[in-house]
Parts: sequence; C-alpha cells; structure tokens
Amino acid sequence: MIEDVEYSMPVNIIVAHGLEAKALVRMLKLERDQASTEFVEYSNPNKLRLLVSGIGKEAVAAAVTYLGEQQACDDGEIRAWLNIGIAGHRDAPLGSAWLGNKITEHSSGDSAYPPQLIEGFGVGRVVTVDEPENSYPLNAAYEMEASAFYAEATKYSTAELVQVFKVISDNLENPISEIDIHSVPGLIAAQAPQLLTLIERMSAIVEQYNSSQRLPSFYSEICARTHLTVNQKLQLRRLCQRYKALGLEEDLGSIANLKASNARQLIQQLAERIDRISEA
Amino acid sequence: MFSTIYIEEEVLESARVRNLLDRFSQVPQVICDRYGEVFNRKSQNFRLQKAAPALILAKKFGNKVLAAPTGYGYNDSKSYYFSHMLNCVYDCRYCFLQGMYSSANYVLFVNYEDFEEAIVEKIEENNGGGVYYSGYDCDSLALEPVSNFCNHFLPVFRRYPDAELEIRTKSTQVRCLLDTEVVSNCVIAMSFTTNEAARQWEHKVPSIEKRLEALHKLQLAGWKVAIRFEPLILGAEGLAPYEALFAQIFSKLDASRLHSVSSGLFRMPVDFHKRIVKLYPDEELFARPTEAADGMIALKSAEESSHLVAIERLLLKYVSSEQYYRCA
Repeated sequence: MIEDVEYSMPVNIIVAHGLEAKALVRMLKLERDQASTEFVEYSNPNKLRLLVSGIGKEAVAAAVTYLGEQQACDDGEIRAWLNIGIAGHRDAPLGSAWLGNKITEHSSGDSAYPPQLIEGFGVGRVVTVDEPENSYPLNAAYEMEASAFYAEATKYSTAELVQVFKVISDNLENPISEIDIHSVPGLIAAQAPQLLTLIERMSAIVEQYNSSQRLPSFYSEICARTHLTVNQKLQLRRLCQRYKALGLEEDLGSIANLKASNARQLIQQLAERIDRISEA
Repeated sequence: MFSTIYIEEEVLESARVRNLLDRFSQVPQVICDRYGEVFNRKSQNFRLQKAAPALILAKKFGNKVLAAPTGYGYNDSKSYYFSHMLNCVYDCRYCFLQGMYSSANYVLFVNYEDFEEAIVEKIEENNGGGVYYSGYDCDSLALEPVSNFCNHFLPVFRRYPDAELEIRTKSTQVRCLLDTEVVSNCVIAMSFTTNEAARQWEHKVPSIEKRLEALHKLQLAGWKVAIRFEPLILGAEGLAPYEALFAQIFSKLDASRLHSVSSGLFRMPVDFHKRIVKLYPDEELFARPTEAADGMIALKSAEESSHLVAIERLLLKYVSSEQYYRCA
C-alpha cells in the first residue's frame, strides 16, 4: 500500500478532471496543496504531485508548463510524467486500460511514440481529439489531452519517462452521452494495482537516472560561496562529476578548502589534480 | 527480446517482415510512417532505452554503400561499408554509437534486395573488387537469428570472388556460417579487449572464451578469421593484461592462418564524446583526461605511443608484420 512507501516518487501526474483525481488522491494518499492558486494540486511527502489541468489540449499544456517551470532547477534532476484519464473505444470493455504506445493528434495527423520501457502493462493506441468522439473509427482510445501532454512534458523530461494511461469509460454500446460521471472514480480506482506498480517502476527509473546525474554536494557549496561565470559553473560541474566517477568525491572537500583566490584558480587546481590522478 | 516492434507501413506486407511479425507475435507491434518518427528523436535517452530496446523494421533510402573512413581497412583497395542495421545488442561503454544516436532501439532495414543491388553496382564499378565492411553501425552477427543477414548477403559475395566482405562482430552466433559452404572472400573479424576491459565495459557481450571458441570452430571449418584489438585502453595494470590476452588467443587459434590482426586506440568524434559524457557522467572511463585534435577525442596519455609500440611488440611475437596493421 502507498502509505508504507518510503522511497522517493518523483512523478508528476496530470488528470483533466476532478473526478479522475478523486480516486487517485485516495489511492496515493495525497494532500491538497492549498497554496496552489492556478490549478487544483495535490502532493505527498515522497515527491509525488498531482495536478488537475482541466479538459483539452490547451489546458493540459498549461498545467504541464506550470508544473515544469515550478520544478525547473539546475541540478540536472528530472521527474517522470504520467497522464491518467478516461477514454472511449469502439469495443473495448468498460474499465479496460492501457499505456499509450502511439499517440495521434487527430487534427494534425501527427503521431508520437512514447518509448516503452515498462513491461507487464497492456499497451495500445491513443487518439487525441478536439471534440468528444462518438464513433471511434480506429482501434484506439479516444480522449482529449494525451498529444498535448506528451509534447509538453517531453520538454521537461526524457521521452522514456513520459507516459499516458487511459481507462475506457465509453464505447459504442455505452456511448459517451450516457456516461454516469460518478462512475469515473470507480473506473480509476479499479486500476489501483496497475497504477501503483506503474508509478513505482517509473519512480525507480527516475531515481536511477537522477542518481547517475547527481552532483556532489560540494558543487552547490562552492557555487554558494564563490562567484562563478556560467562557463565556470559548467567546468566545475564536469570536474565534480569526474571526481565522483573516480570515487574521489571525498577529496573535493579538502580541495574546496584550499585558499584559492578566485574561481579560475580553484577550477585549475581541481583540474590539475584529477588529471594527474586519472591519467593512464 | 524486444520491448516493442515498430513497423514502417511501407514494409508491413513484405514477406521478410510478415515472417518476423509472426515469429514475434507476442511482442506489441506499432505501425509508423517512417522510422525517424520513433528513432533518434531529440528527447530520447540512449542509456534508458538500452534497458528495453525496441526493434524497428524500416526501408533504407538513399546511399546504401558508403566509402569507409580513411584508415579503416587493412589494405589499399577501395573500401566501403554498408549498414543493414543501426545499433547493437551489446552495451559496450566505449562504443561511439551511444553518442551517435539518442535512441538505443535497433533499426533493421529490411530491403536487402536494394542493398544487394547497391553492393553489386559498387563491385562492378571496381571491376569486381573492393573491400566491403559490415558491422560499422551494428554487430552483423549478433542479431542473425532475427535478421538472416548471412543467408542473404553471403551468396552475393560468393558471386564476386575478387570482392572482399568483412563481417565485424563480437557475437558467437556463427551457426549460419558453419552450416554453409565457406565463402573464400569473406572474413569474420572478431573484436577483443583485455579481460579486465571486457569485464568493466563490455556488457552483454559473450565472454572472451566463448568468442574464441566460435572463432576456433570457424577456423577449423575453413573460414577466414581476423582479430581486431579495439579499442586499446591502457589501465593501471599496464601491459600485463595484453600479454595475458594474446597468450589466451594464440593458444586457441592458429596464428599463421589468421587473415589479419589490427589494433586501434580509443577515438571518437568530439560531439559523440560530449553526448556520451552527458549520458554517463558517473563512468570512470569518461572521467579520464582527454585531448581533442581534428574533431576527434582521445584519452590523454603521455605514454600512449610508447605503450602502443610495446603492445605491438608483444603482438608481433605471435603474428607476422604482414598480417598486422594499425587502424587509424
């Protein structure tokens, strides 16, 4: 269960409607973030965030931009992005669900292909339409946000960590006009085991990625106490990575304490030392 | 084996593709217009994709047989390379492909007949000769059970005995070769690094023992076999790992019957190296000092040329200088 989870879950979930959020808030033990004014927002202490974007491509793009900009930082860490929502399909049973492996924007005909790293999930096509679709011409989940979500979220993360998960809420036998909107939380809640696994696996991949990119704490310490140009910051970042890769993170501390009179000198000392150590 | 199979609509109905899709019917299949929609997009991450690569079945347009880079080959004949596949099933940390593509998915160009036509055209342009390398952008044998590469391309070269085909590989998938009559103008060139380097940087690659076993079988069957010591990366252990590697290899293979032996230092275009460093900032190999010249990057080592000479001296205890060449 989610309350037992102690690991970090750096995943941003975007849903279009409050009813889609309702089941997730309960499932993921999220708390409403009262400080958020632009969007209804929830989070938990494990870095999981959920935003209710509103319906349609523009709304979801705005929500992703809002959250992406808020989380922008220069430490190189990224988050996974997951769009969860209901969709229609011509004959898939209500409550069936899949990860989108091809997302087509109906208006332009353009398609995107989220890389599929996570096994064990149903997969299928998703078509994003501007108006609700009643006839479902293709063998695809029809909905209104995925294409814009994917295009926007891949600006803030790598494509492998941007996924859409659609739950079928209507089909030809149960048309969209007859949807009981109060059934939506139940449809999402029924996917709890799948969704928890998906979030867990996405979190693990993000953590692995971020761990490989994480800079020694000395980087921020040096940045805080020494004036560095943009170029010097890049040089220092790379030097810190090299020390870390060679298992010499600890050495940075002693070198950082050297009385280098300026940033240029400090970078030079760090570079000379590591070149000396690592040259074959 | 593959997380997904993407298929260009244009090749969907070809017999080669239908056969593959039937064999891998349990793998999710996605139709696309052109492979560029899926492969090498700017927001993709090679390192992450390597954990679950997809197969892309596509048609190759444009030049299919290209001039080999200067210094790539072992003689002065005109040399070319062709890539029926992009990317490799192995995960060698020093490989330039990591910096060349943002995607680790395998692209298999299934229009073999077009490749064949281009190869034949080039051979005839060269009066029946020329050297043709396969395995520059991929490992030609590693995906043989899927690609059936040998089955199609060996007969092409059998028809042109003065043209030479080099299949560069680290694979032990040699059944296709052992089951067919030797093609006298085909060379199977196996790449090796030291045991230490292999353990540290060659992930998913068959062990040196298994590769040697495969080469041994090929040699016994009469195939021409070559050895490529690439890339040479010196560590703190100095020359000892090379002494051990050479002893291991030449106790198993008949050195006098080797087609050729070459060595090459760790080199790659500066831009590729930059991209790889971003992917693997935590990799010890890329934390070493480097130096750039003429757009290429190399590991910086004051002793590099003397080490190379020392390694060559060790090597020439086993093979003749006529068999050996240094790859630029």
